[in-house]
Amino acid sequence: MSTQTSASTDQGLLRDLVGGLSVSGDGRTLSVGVVGSAAYASQPPGHCLDACLEGDPGAALMRGCEFLRGALRNAADVAQLCDGKCSKGFRAAAQVTSIAGSPATVVTVEGPLTGGPGRCSPVDLLGRLDDAARLVQRIGQMLEENAGFANEILQNYEQLNLIFDLTQQIANVTDVREIEKVLLERVARLLSSDAVCVVAAEGACRTYFAQPQPDGAVSRGPALNPAELAQAADFVRRTRHVRVAVVGGRQVIAAPLVRLDDKVEVVLADRSAGRGAFSAGDMMLIESVLAFGGQIISNTELHERMHRMLLEVTRALVAAIDKKDHYTSGHSERGGFLTRLTAQELGVPPAQQQTMEWAGLLHDVGKIGIPEEILCKPGKLTPEEWEVVKQHPRMGYEILQPIASLGVILDGVLYHHEYPDGSGYPEGLRGDQIPLVARIVHVVDTFDALTSTRAYRRAYSIERAIEIIRAEEGSRIDTEVAEAFFRALTRYRRENPADFAARFSIGSEKECENACA
Amino acid sequence: MSRILVAEDDPHILRLISMWLQREGHVVFEARNGLAARDLVRAEPVDILVSDINMPGMDGLALIESVIGEGCVRRGVIVLTNRWDHAEIRDRLADWGVTVLPKPFSPSRLSEVVESLAAGRPTTARMAPPPVSERGAC
Repeated sequence: MSTQTSASTDQGLLRDLVGGLSVSGDGRTLSVGVVGSAAYASQPPGHCLDACLEGDPGAALMRGCEFLRGALRNAADVAQLCDGKCSKGFRAAAQVTSIAGSPATVVTVEGPLTGGPGRCSPVDLLGRLDDAARLVQRIGQMLEENAGFANEILQNYEQLNLIFDLTQQIANVTDVREIEKVLLERVARLLSSDAVCVVAAEGACRTYFAQPQPDGAVSRGPALNPAELAQAADFVRRTRHVRVAVVGGRQVIAAPLVRLDDKVEVVLADRSAGRGAFSAGDMMLIESVLAFGGQIISNTELHERMHRMLLEVTRALVAAIDKKDHYTSGHSERGGFLTRLTAQELGVPPAQQQTMEWAGLLHDVGKIGIPEEILCKPGKLTPEEWEVVKQHPRMGYEILQPIASLGVILDGVLYHHEYPDGSGYPEGLRGDQIPLVARIVHVVDTFDALTSTRAYRRAYSIERAIEIIRAEEGSRIDTEVAEAFFRALTRYRRENPADFAARFSIGSEKECENACA
Repeated sequence: MSRILVAEDDPHILRLISMWLQREGHVVFEARNGLAARDLVRAEPVDILVSDINMPGMDGLALIESVIGEGCVRRGVIVLTNRWDHAEIRDRLADWGVTVLPKPFSPSRLSEVVESLAAGRPTTARMAPPPVSERGAC
């Protein structure tokens, strides 16, 4: 089941071949061997030597070796070297051919098994030589073809592997810069370059390294001056084709990376001296890898852009709703932000955090259906008015329900006023019956209401709001969610004090102006 | 230059890996299943074992388990396996200090790992030695 192979696999094949051509019988032997090229020099021309050895140990060995040395030294003259000079009936001939691109000499040695004058005919010998040379050449071609196929497959493997890696990466990474980094570091390695640089349309250059750089190392991209860089980049930007050029004495490969909106960037790489020139294979590789890489980057960019747009449209919508009630200005925006922060703290997977943020942002959409005189009424509401306000989760749900893709978000909107003890509305769900997203939105909604000034009271401090919420844990507030929220809030306040102050202008007067006048 | 044994049941992939590694200057031995590979390294130790997981007879996991503790593989083991193989297999291999590369393999990545194993210290040291009775010739 197992075979040993080594760097001499191809030679092994040749040895088998010439072995097959060698004949022994009728009291004579005919052996064929291959000598000559550097690639095959290590092969002992065993058959020739064997022939010599079997024939006449003394003289023949000497003759045989002399012959082979001659073949190695100057292949063209070998045909004459031994013809007619071999003693004891030995004859030899040689023919120069090539194997897998390198020259090789096929030799045949003919001699008697036992002593005595040779009876071989030179015609036989040369005929045999022709056959052998033709076969050796054919085998050489096949080996060459084989190596070509193998190269092709290996290169395809390389590309396929990169595609798999990138797609896998994208499943976890939605950040375009991260995808670009993965793609270009890999490109640098595939090209055996230390680094590649991406020249943006405006001429700036982003550098990526094949190997991780030690901290504090002076980063070095392709060693090109700006003028040379611009020149190389310009050609590719115009033609959108890969190009290899010699710039400033160095080989540079440049290929297009087409991004969203047909924006062409140019990826440049050079190779340090001694690593050989860029080949046609390198050109094909970089072109195809960047073509699909650019496609992936464009799609991700498009996805990001659509997502941003959707978020902006939604924000504009909820800001318009918040405007109805000046006291709740910015309430929805903060609701979205705090919901995400809490979901993160609870270990919710990133994709769901996103959904929950939407729920936080949209939870009060139903207030659009509540008359302003009730929404902005200073002082306590009558029981009838209170019943109207309690309609807003259902109204929000009904407004958003036709948008099929909102899914889980609807849970957050409909149930954000349900309490763990079952005393909430609209359905009076209890404990775990209330979806997690709704429990989170409820906590952050309560917190934001307490820390905002209302028509009938001033805002509570953050500390006081936390006390009030804690007092209701287990009854109207989910304990686990509330505690996660407090932890997340405290950490955020500590780590981002400026941003925190901007988002929560706690305690400042929020006058109810014209809208509620 | 390292002595490398490649254990892989698909003859084409086996040829390809072996061709690639030879081209990089290594001495390569080929085996079509785990048993053949085990016999081969027991007869003569190698520096690096490159193994598939799913093979008839003795699979890659059993092969690695049986040879790695014996010191027959001096520098380290590389497993080429299906990208979607179970996490438990990956975990087990990670415990053994085995480098896992997904198929279709990246030739450049394979060379990188071979070079770093050849340059680094033996990974077998991380393995607990097997019971004495199971120890082979190495």
